[in-house]
Amino acid sequence: MSNKCVVLDPIGQPSGIFGRRLEIDSPMFAIHDPTYQPRDTSENLSSLKMAERIDTLEGKAVYLVNTGFAGGREFMEELQDWFAKNRPGVKTILKNKTTSMFTDEPDLWREIKQNGDAVVFGVGG
Amino acid sequence: MENDYGIPTAPVVTARFADYVERDKLSHGMALRFTYPPYPVGWVPRETLHRYIEGNDPITGIPITQEIDDALTRPLSDFERNFKAEKRPERPRLLEPDTEENLHRMFLENGWTDGLPIILPTEERVAEMLTGTDRKPDEYVGMMSVTTHEERLQYNVEKCAVIAVMAGCRPEHFPVILALGASGRPSMPSSTTSFASMMIVNGPIRNEIGMNSGLGALSPVNYANSVIGRAWTLMSICFGDMRPGATFTATTGTTINYNNMCCAENEENSVWEPFHVRKGYKPNESTVSLFRGWNVLTQGIGPAQRMMEVAKNLGGPFGGSYTFLLDPLVAKSLKHDEGYNDPIELSKYIAGNLQSPMASPERINFVVVGGETNPMWVTTDFSYFQTVSIGEWIPKDGIKHDEKSLRMPVPVTCADGTCGITIE
Repeated sequence: MSNKCVVLDPIGQPSGIFGRRLEIDSPMFAIHDPTYQPRDTSENLSSLKMAERIDTLEGKAVYLVNTGFAGGREFMEELQDWFAKNRPGVKTILKNKTTSMFTDEPDLWREIKQNGDAVVFGVGG
Repeated sequence: MENDYGIPTAPVVTARFADYVERDKLSHGMALRFTYPPYPVGWVPRETLHRYIEGNDPITGIPITQEIDDALTRPLSDFERNFKAEKRPERPRLLEPDTEENLHRMFLENGWTDGLPIILPTEERVAEMLTGTDRKPDEYVGMMSVTTHEERLQYNVEKCAVIAVMAGCRPEHFPVILALGASGRPSMPSSTTSFASMMIVNGPIRNEIGMNSGLGALSPVNYANSVIGRAWTLMSICFGDMRPGATFTATTGTTINYNNMCCAENEENSVWEPFHVRKGYKPNESTVSLFRGWNVLTQGIGPAQRMMEVAKNLGGPFGGSYTFLLDPLVAKSLKHDEGYNDPIELSKYIAGNLQSPMASPERINFVVVGGETNPMWVTTDFSYFQTVSIGEWIPKDGIKHDEKSLRMPVPVTCADGTCGITIE
């Protein structure tokens, strides 16, 4: 019969601290840099709310935003083409993010708020 | 957009990352409605993308365009309205007692190791490791995650001692492990690209704990280099919550992840100021400097012009960042034959000739490493990130050495031609 031994758990303890999106002026590579990665608490994040949905896309302006990963622009162009052919009542506006896929872009968000009703973001991965 | 601007969104992520995204969204405080087209999206013909859009989400079986419409128009459910980012449950300090054999199996099968045998972190071994610092076991050291959004796991001095024991460290190595922990930086961040990291130790601690900065400094010929570098990997696994396929997505991975190119700078044979001094530290301060990139690109030989040409023709995914590891003979030649008294002048020369818009002298670094058996340099696409002080983790009475410190054979150097040869 082998003796049993006691060992310590090697896994870190939960902190309740999560990552948050980067700011527009975040340094390059900040997404992978804990020095610059913004953080937030579970309490703050849990107060975030999803927007109310619109009743239909017909007659609405939908922004198609290429976030910058490979193929994103081409995918959004094809999606725009699909809407034009199959849902002509939906106005689509294609935009490419001007900063990296990891950073905030408030100017674009403000434009969408002013002129749009919904957004399709992609393509991640 | 959802919370700040009140605009409904339909995020689109390829199906390859559906598991990752479904778990990751738990960290965003919102149950976003993702659509998952097939993978890959990049570098495929237009016809393929067209087919994706006209086809179904392979995860849900729902047509892609219908799913996007649904994401933007279906009223929110109570679950979506009341979604919370939740803290994970606390973990016990001790695991259930078991046999050594079963515990080894458990650590391995739970993915808490790098696949190599570990030293089990018993209470006695961890207590001994804690003699390597004056800090209290429950003192907070840092928090880490290999992901960008998921909950960071925090760790104290005792948790770092557990990792140090597992990696095979002795108490004399522990201050370096604590400094690595204090950085909060995992060596293997989550990315489909296969990130690699490097750590360079400077200052008096290099020699006090027997690190190798000379011949074969990057090879497995030195105890301290091996276990310290490994500890950063185990830290990334256990504190950074690195789980293959879940939080670790490097498509090919890299063997650099085993040891993170852990070595010391050869300050004694360098004609330049030590690396950490160039980053603002005093020569008698002990530090660890951390780098990250992807690849060891070349092993080269020749003058500064050749280094510039190599940097110009090779690059990682983003280009413009290089860290050269130079044998001391190279640094001597660059200084005495080409007039580079300060490596920043060399950085300026190389950066000024690169095409990358991201090139800047600060992103081209030089570390002197090697045994002067060949005037060679190693090109990496690594960026320098930070230097962490080790001194604050060293006991006030100095490094805690074993009665007889463990050391591997040091490279034999001699002047009479009999090195390594036994003559009867």
